[in-house]
Amino acid sequence: MTSANQRAGAIRGGMPRKPIKISQEKVVIGISVVLFSIFSIVLDKFLSEGNIIALLKNVSILGTLAVGMGLVVVGRGIDLTMVAVMVVGVAFSIWVSSLGIDFTVAVLIGAVLVALIGLFTGVMIAFAEIPPIFATLAIASSIYGTGRIIFPSDVLYAPNNVGWLKWVGSGTLFGIPASVLIFGIVSVTMGLFLRKTRFGRLVYATGDNPNAARNMGLPTRPIIVTQYIISALIAFIAGLIMTGLVTGINTRIYNSSLIYDVLLVVVLGGIGLSGGQGGVRNVIVGTILVGILTNGMTILNVSYTNQNLIKSVILLTALAIDAIINPRDEQTSQTGDI
Amino acid sequence: MAILRTILAAGIAVAALCGAASTATAQETDQVGRQAYLDAVKGKKVIFIPISQGFDLNQAWVAVWQRHAARYGFSLEVRDPNGDTNAGIRAMQGAIAEKPDLIIVQNPDVQTYARLLKQAQQAGIKVLQVNMQSATQTDSYVGNDWIEMGKLEMGELAKTCTAPNAPSHKVVWLAGVQTGAANIYMRTGIDAVLKQYPQLQLVSDQPADYSSEKARQITETVLQQHPDLCGIMGIWDNAEVGAGAAVAAAGKQDQVTIVTNGAGSDTGCQSIKNGLLDVIFNFNAPVQGEIAAQQISELLQHPDHKAGSEKTIFFGPVTRVDKNNATGRNCWKIDELK
Repeated sequence: MTSANQRAGAIRGGMPRKPIKISQEKVVIGISVVLFSIFSIVLDKFLSEGNIIALLKNVSILGTLAVGMGLVVVGRGIDLTMVAVMVVGVAFSIWVSSLGIDFTVAVLIGAVLVALIGLFTGVMIAFAEIPPIFATLAIASSIYGTGRIIFPSDVLYAPNNVGWLKWVGSGTLFGIPASVLIFGIVSVTMGLFLRKTRFGRLVYATGDNPNAARNMGLPTRPIIVTQYIISALIAFIAGLIMTGLVTGINTRIYNSSLIYDVLLVVVLGGIGLSGGQGGVRNVIVGTILVGILTNGMTILNVSYTNQNLIKSVILLTALAIDAIINPRDEQTSQTGDI
Repeated sequence: MAILRTILAAGIAVAALCGAASTATAQETDQVGRQAYLDAVKGKKVIFIPISQGFDLNQAWVAVWQRHAARYGFSLEVRDPNGDTNAGIRAMQGAIAEKPDLIIVQNPDVQTYARLLKQAQQAGIKVLQVNMQSATQTDSYVGNDWIEMGKLEMGELAKTCTAPNAPSHKVVWLAGVQTGAANIYMRTGIDAVLKQYPQLQLVSDQPADYSSEKARQITETVLQQHPDLCGIMGIWDNAEVGAGAAVAAAGKQDQVTIVTNGAGSDTGCQSIKNGLLDVIFNFNAPVQGEIAAQQISELLQHPDHKAGSEKTIFFGPVTRVDKNNATGRNCWKIDELK
């Protein structure tokens, strides 16, 4: 219980962390700083303003998705539908617009569809009580499969005369690319939502101990359903960023390792899969480490396959360091740990 | 459409000639060899195992073949593994067990089906490979000369980037997946050109995994390192639009030449018109489909020829498409093929 109390205290900001406690988040920050320094020294132009912006831009989609995943994981769930929802939601909007409907209206229709998918996922998990990992795995396949039947092709191009979509792809504000800005807005909103609203606190309570939360009379089921609706909508936003950046969407991304990269960012940043801990800051820390790694390796001309290998080794290292520094025992481990 | 008609006519002519040799005593009222040909293909079973039917080129092939199947009464079944190698292996095993008259296969890489293709040939099933070759050569291969494709694309960059007014001699090769036949052979072609133009500098060669977003990320990072980049070459127009988006975002459309290849669908032409791509070496999938259709009819007409006894190859035509000829039959739409 002490650790839970500490955590709760730390979250409220009322109780200072013990100075000797080195969390996983700090391990990851440490690794990021080391890598950043090495790349800055070894790689010419790594430290340039342009490259830092490129680095952030390249992780904006991953980061946005990870914020949504972070919310669900804090609530002791997991949402493997995010990439499917992202590609199918946006592809659906493009498909609707190809029927002669204005693209902006089509995007709103897509958003409604995506929210309904999130609602369905949430209901399956909260009311039908299917474990989230299985429910979302199955629903992800169904969503993607349905998309494959409806859409004529894997790659769908958005109409190229939509002003706001162009801005999402190439617009800037004070030198910051729109995609990074959107990632920032989503992160800040989610951060405030989790920290400052009553609903946010309930997400932590549900994630930390769902049974206790329910016994206390908290509406745990509606809370869970809402989480999945929000994560679906965030996935849709990430899809719109991608469409803006590359003028279309390739639904085949569903088959890539993207969903695991999203999970990697969340877990790497220090949001435990057992729920009730961590926040948006952890997601940002994880995202930035992956961003530094990918950027540095791309400059070093490391092949994609080897990049994935190195990325996984770094993840494993971060988790191993954390396991050594913060060993699990009866007090710190929770039921539901994966 | 004139080319299609010519090729179709050529195919029928070849078929008629073959038929004429075997049925010298045909009835005078019937076109020589016609009935023998119709009898030979009628009721035959053809199974196609693609990488995925979500690609534009696959859709074009199948549209063409289905037209032939309906006309001559053979059956064409598409067993789509949707990009999943394991599902592809199962589909191959299933197809071999069913003993069809012909298996058409588009290989995901050179190794995956190599042994299965040998098994199919040993079981007496004829095998036609389209566009993506396996390490095992079978009765027929119809598709690109990928070594030539590598030479064409890098040759195009060599022309632009060794010109007196070129911004630099720096070029980038955005591959697909490293084990794919197309990648391996294209690389051979690229190396030949690089040897011929030693001043060309290959500053990055990373697979973008056929993903436009990955291509965009690599290009954006490389452009930071090499702001004077001269050219980029890729393997699939639908992926290289991402590279084009990164170049456009950096405002370097006039400086960086982007060369790729594609099936010749209208989306590629749109990308040229939108300034995302400069040159597409178009291998015209409908024409490829017609050539393959000729091979289908030839293989079905000679059940007495042992599977694997004759091995033929035909490389289809390639057209260089830029903004001056991105029209008409260089830009097909799938609905026009059906």
